[in-house]
This record gives sequence, C-alpha cells and structure tokens, in this order.
Amino acid sequence: MYLIGNISIYLGIVISLYGIIANIVGVKKKSSKWIESARGAVLSLAFVASIASFLLLYLLGTSQFQYKYVASYTNESLSMAYKLTAFWAGNAGSLLLWAFLLALYATMVVFSKEKKNPMMPYVSSILMVNILFFFTVMALNSNPFEMTDKIPADGKGLNPMLQNPGMILHPVTLYMGYVGLAVPFAFGIAALILKRMDSEWIKLTRRWTLLAWLFLTLGNVIGGWWAYIELGWGGYWAWDPVENASFLPWLTVSAFLHSVMIQERKNMLKTWNVSLIILSFILTLFGTFLVRSGILTSVHAFGDNNLGTYFLVFMAFMMLFSLYIVMTRYGLIKKDSSPIEAYFSKESSFLLNNLILVAAAFAVFWGTMYPLISETFTGTKVNVGAPYFNKVMAPILLVLIVLMGICPLIAWQKAVFEKFMKNMLWPLAMGVATAIILFVFGVNGIYAIIGLSATSFMFGTHLQEFARGISARRKATKENILKAAFKLTVKNQRRYGGYIVHIGIAVIAVGVISSHTYSTEVLKTVDAGDSIKTGDYSLKFNKLTEHTKNGNGIVVADIDVMYKGKDIGKIKPEKIFYETWPEPSTEVAIKTNWSQDLYVVLSSWESKDKVTFMVKVNPFVSWIWMGGIIMVIGTAFALIGGRPTTFRHQINKGISRVGG
Amino acid sequence: MSKNKKIVVGLSLAAVAFVIMMFSTMPSAGSKEITIADLSKNGSKYEGDYIMTQGLLNKESVKWDADKLELRFELYEEGQGTLQVFHKGIKPDNFSEDVIVLVEGFIQKDGVFEAEKVQTKCPTKYEGEDMENYDTEMHKEMYKNDKQE
Repeated sequence: MYLIGNISIYLGIVISLYGIIANIVGVKKKSSKWIESARGAVLSLAFVASIASFLLLYLLGTSQFQYKYVASYTNESLSMAYKLTAFWAGNAGSLLLWAFLLALYATMVVFSKEKKNPMMPYVSSILMVNILFFFTVMALNSNPFEMTDKIPADGKGLNPMLQNPGMILHPVTLYMGYVGLAVPFAFGIAALILKRMDSEWIKLTRRWTLLAWLFLTLGNVIGGWWAYIELGWGGYWAWDPVENASFLPWLTVSAFLHSVMIQERKNMLKTWNVSLIILSFILTLFGTFLVRSGILTSVHAFGDNNLGTYFLVFMAFMMLFSLYIVMTRYGLIKKDSSPIEAYFSKESSFLLNNLILVAAAFAVFWGTMYPLISETFTGTKVNVGAPYFNKVMAPILLVLIVLMGICPLIAWQKAVFEKFMKNMLWPLAMGVATAIILFVFGVNGIYAIIGLSATSFMFGTHLQEFARGISARRKATKENILKAAFKLTVKNQRRYGGYIVHIGIAVIAVGVISSHTYSTEVLKTVDAGDSIKTGDYSLKFNKLTEHTKNGNGIVVADIDVMYKGKDIGKIKPEKIFYETWPEPSTEVAIKTNWSQDLYVVLSSWESKDKVTFMVKVNPFVSWIWMGGIIMVIGTAFALIGGRPTTFRHQINKGISRVGG
Repeated sequence: MSKNKKIVVGLSLAAVAFVIMMFSTMPSAGSKEITIADLSKNGSKYEGDYIMTQGLLNKESVKWDADKLELRFELYEEGQGTLQVFHKGIKPDNFSEDVIVLVEGFIQKDGVFEAEKVQTKCPTKYEGEDMENYDTEMHKEMYKNDKQE
C-alpha cells in the first residue's frame, strides 16, 4: 500500500508533465490526436488522484498507525466520521484533497460538451500545471503516505476542538471554493492567449464561478459558526489572518461575478474581469501560503516554512505569467470594448461595486500584512487587531449595502433620474421608519442605527422588486401570491436568485451589526445556589458534577435559567478532559431564539461549590446563520437558471456568422 | 467629464481612502510585538504603548483570585528575563507548565504588565504533540521540550 500511495503521487507528476507537453505539441502541430492524448492524461490524473485519496481514506478508516499522517491525526477511539475526515486535518491530506478536486474538475471540463473548443488545450494545460504543483509539493515536502520509524501503539488523536461537525464541513467547502476558481481562471487566460476578446469564456464558466463562490460563502459562514459554538470566546469572526485569507477571495469573486454580467451584456469592463479572476485565483494560493508558512503570528500557528516557500514561488510564477499575458493583450482588449458612457447607469454602478469590493479586499489585505510591512520599514512588528478592521470595513460595507439597495432600481444605459427617485420612495421610507422606530425604542449607537436603516432600505428595494414582479405575473396568470413568487423566481432564476442572495446578506447584516454593537458580557464567580443576572436573564447555579463518557472526563455545571421571571429550562456548560489531549476543551452552552443567544461558558472552578462563569447575551446571532442559508438558496436558484450556455452560444455563433 | 477628469477624481478618492487607512493603522491602533528580553531591559521605553508579547508560563507563579477575577502570573523567555503579568478576567484553560502565552496590554511603571488580552497558544493546533512540525524559528527558541504525558 505504501508503494501504491507513493507511485500514484509520482505518477501524478509524470502524467501532468506529459499532459502539458501533449497539449503544446497538439496545438503547435494542430493535431487532434495529441490533444486527445492530453485529454486522456487528465482522465488518468483523476484516476491516480482517486486511488491515492481512497487509499488514504482506507488507511485512516482502518487506523494504520504505521503511516505518520494516520498516527498524527487519529487514534483508536475516535469515531469513524472523524477518522475519515481527518483526511484534511493536516497539510499532506489537504494537499491531496486539493489535487483530487483539481483533477476531478479538470476531467469534467475537458470531457464536457466543449471538448473541441480551441481554448481547451490551454485550459487543460493551465489546470495541469496546478495539478503538477500539488503533486510535486506532496512528493517533496508533505507526503501523505510517509511511514513512521516505529509503529506507535495508538495514534495521537484529533484535537478535540476539531471534533465538531464544523470540522467536517468547513475545510472541504473552502477547498471546493478555492479549487473551483481555477477553472474560470484557466478559461480567462486561455481566451487571452488565443487573443479572443469575446465573452465566451465567461459564459462557459458562469456556473463554475457561482459554484466556487457558493462554497466560499459556505466555508466562511460555517467557519464563523464553528468558532462561535466551539471556541468559547463568544464571537464568530476575529479578523485573524487565517480568516482573512478565506475572506479575500470571497470579496474579489463577488466583484467578478457581478462584473461579468456587464461584459456579457454590454461588452464593457473587460480588463476588470480578467484582472479580477486572476486576482481571485492568486488570492486562493496566497491564503494557503499565509496560513501554512508561519510568517504571521496568529493563534492559528500552523507553520512549516518550506511549504510556505513552495506556495510563494508558485504564486509568484502564476502572477508573473498572468501579468505577462494581460499586458501583451492589453491593446486588443481595449480596442474591443465599449467605454462606459453614462455616469448614472447600471454599468457605472457595477463599476462602483467593483471598486468598493476591491477597496474592501485591499483594506483586509493591508491589515493582514501590516505586521510584515511595519517590520520591514520600522523594525517593529505591529499587529493590527479587530479594532482596525472594524473601523475600516464598517463604512466600506455600509456603502456596499446602500449600493446593493440602489442598484436594482437603476436602469441600463442612462437612467432617468426622476423615475429612479420615484422607485426609491418606498424603500427609503422603510429605511427612515426603521431609524425612527429604533430611536423611539431607546436603542442607542448612531452607527448601528445607520447600518440597520441602510439594511432595511436595501431589503425594501428587493422586496419591491419581488412585489412588482409578482403583481405583473398575477395580472397575467391569476396565480396566488406564493405560486406567483415561486414561478417568478423559477422563470428568471439569475435575477431573482441574485435578489434572494442580497436579502440573505441583509439578514446577515442585521445579525452582525446587532451582535457587534449590543452584546453584553458578564464574568462572575458564584457559590452554589447563587444567581447571575444579566439583561432579562437570571441564571441560578445549582451544582457542578463530573462523569466519564467514552473514556473522557466531563465536568458539567447545572444552571436554571429564568427569562423575564419565567423558567425557561436549564443550561449546562461543560469542560471535557481528554484521554489523549493535555488541554481540556470548553463546551459552550447556548440557548438560542430568534432574537438573541444566551451564551454561557464554564470558565474555571475553585471547588464544586464555587465556580466562575462567563455569560454573554448576543442579539440576533441566529440571523447570521439564517442569512447564510438564504444566500445558499438564492445561489442555488441562480445556478440552475439561465439557458444552457451551449444553446445560447450556438445562437450567438449563428448570428455572428450571418451578421459577418 | 473628460476621461482625464475621471481618472483624476478616481485617483484622488483612492488617495484619500489610502491616507485614512494609513492613519487607522498607525502604531497606536495596533500592538507592537516586543520580546520579554527587550521589555525587562527597556521597560520604561515602552510605557504607554500597546504591546504584544509572549513567553513561557511559570506554572508555580500562577495566582488566581476567583472572587475578584484577578489573575497574576509570570512569563519567561529562556535565559532572557521574566515578566510579571496582571490580568483582570478569567483564567484561560490550558495554563500548564511551559505553555506559550500571548499577552497584549501595557507595561506599568512598576514593571508589571497589565494584560487586556491573555491567550494560550497550543504548540500545535491540529495535531497531537508532534513537535517536529511545529512552527517558526521564533518559537523554537522559546519552546522548551516535548511534553510526553
């Protein structure tokens, strides 16, 4: 098995090299045989990566501790689910996962309906260069099939903080996001190499982009959720370099997937689009580099200097290559685009959208890299914390929300201002009403009120769009409201799916703004029988007990909770002491309802009768997770929608042939 | 507006934004990373600065007053010096011998470091106690030895 594993990795290197060469020869000689052979290489890569992956799963599932990776991240008593998902617990397995996904995606692309497309050899080569990189790093630096010197009796086990459903989902969704971006990137570069200035590459990769973005969204939201319920500091986002690493590509891809709509319809923003996809792709590599090189101090210390260097070199190479391609084609791109004519039009608002999202990405990038920048110029490493990020990002995101509200109301080309104002009326009223209501209820915090009102305004415009669409449908079809709403979305999936995603963002915004501004925290040491009061809650600590489960020692605090005088049950925060782990883990206890979370942490204890608790009340946090789900639903609609690209493409081809 | 004007407006907006960002990241907004060695020798130089430092924990020095929620402990950098730390808040979970502790706060006139944030850094976050794959040079010099339980 050791042989099989290692051979598959070396085969991966050899086959991808061959595939790249086959593509080049095929293009130079215009020989379809060579191109077909390259296609076969891609399929073989998928095969080889699958073998390696299934082998690793087998080793993990059967606890073969003679393999270093298995011994490092699992142990006998770990449940099967965590044994298998330990696949991506460390560097080597994560690299294999990346290679596997790349090979899988590459196969789907080269064997798709587009296999005869002249861009394909270039796309396939670019993807294979990526695959080559990952197999090479595995062979030289992080081999998942490395053996130990002596076989340990039992493995070290998985860090208990990772034994959580979030651990199963978060890394995998993020990787599917990162890897998915390789496809539109490959197509974009291929189109440029071929000096094709049209939007075919965008149309062909629309679903790839959306899917990758969906996974990035999921990965980020799940990461926040995992941190919230597992780490016990009461928050869901700390602007830690690792978190920022996955947020950066999300921002640029958000810009990209909006901006391409403009190129598709109006032939504008071409330079923006290629730049955005290149930037997004580079950021996926950059994120991994950041997290695995240890160059930044973060509590996610994860470093292995050599691995970081590999990523840095590869990233630099891809960046220079892409830059070269864009620069040499720049004149052609410009010649073939239409400039933006009107200032007040949908096109210009999308341009503004690009600018804002890129500005946000730059702000996050700057804050993340600042320690290194300051060290280079001043000799002292200055760490930038959450206050910087919150201060800089809040206004940027506020402008974004307002823009999201305004955009659906602006027409294509020169928008008529009077009509626009008329359309704005109701949503604007909603925003103002929200502000007034908040004031009246004695809610303080001017920034929060502005943020919430802006969110309400944005929600208002989208609601209005739905209302209009629904009433127009009902005039024709006499359907009831729900059916009309559904049919409307199904018939115009891209547009209304997008609107649903925006509504999801509004919901998240309410959760983030509220919990950020109005969370309360109480730290108190109490004796058995005493109560802690915070807000409308009263928590009576009854007793601390201990028991064992699965060989682990669990300490539980039994607390009765009263809300506004009424008994609402018990809450039981715990600490778990593991057999195979020196540090205990904190199991936060959360009582959630739609408007707030009661978040209790068992912090420490002097004796069974004297315990220290941290009690937080976090408003509207459940809205964040809810909003995430809404975003996923909206994206799903947008994904399914749109006519099959080949169909539209044929029409366009036919038209251009006729039109000349 | 001509194309040139557009560029000028765009660039000036970008410049303004950049300047604002620069000011937000001035050292006063972030924490300076200083070593314990440096702090114990030149403590007075850093008074008033928001500092981040880290060291190994001296387990015996930990004093925790649960009623007042006051934590006192000592951090050391091997052969380089020690630092007394005071923190109002809760005691972190893994306060065991030689664990690496990250603190952020201010150094007081009396040499005691008043920490607003105290975090323990697990030597390896994801694996078991495998020290080979552990981190950067910086931590290698701080990290003592393997803890085999």
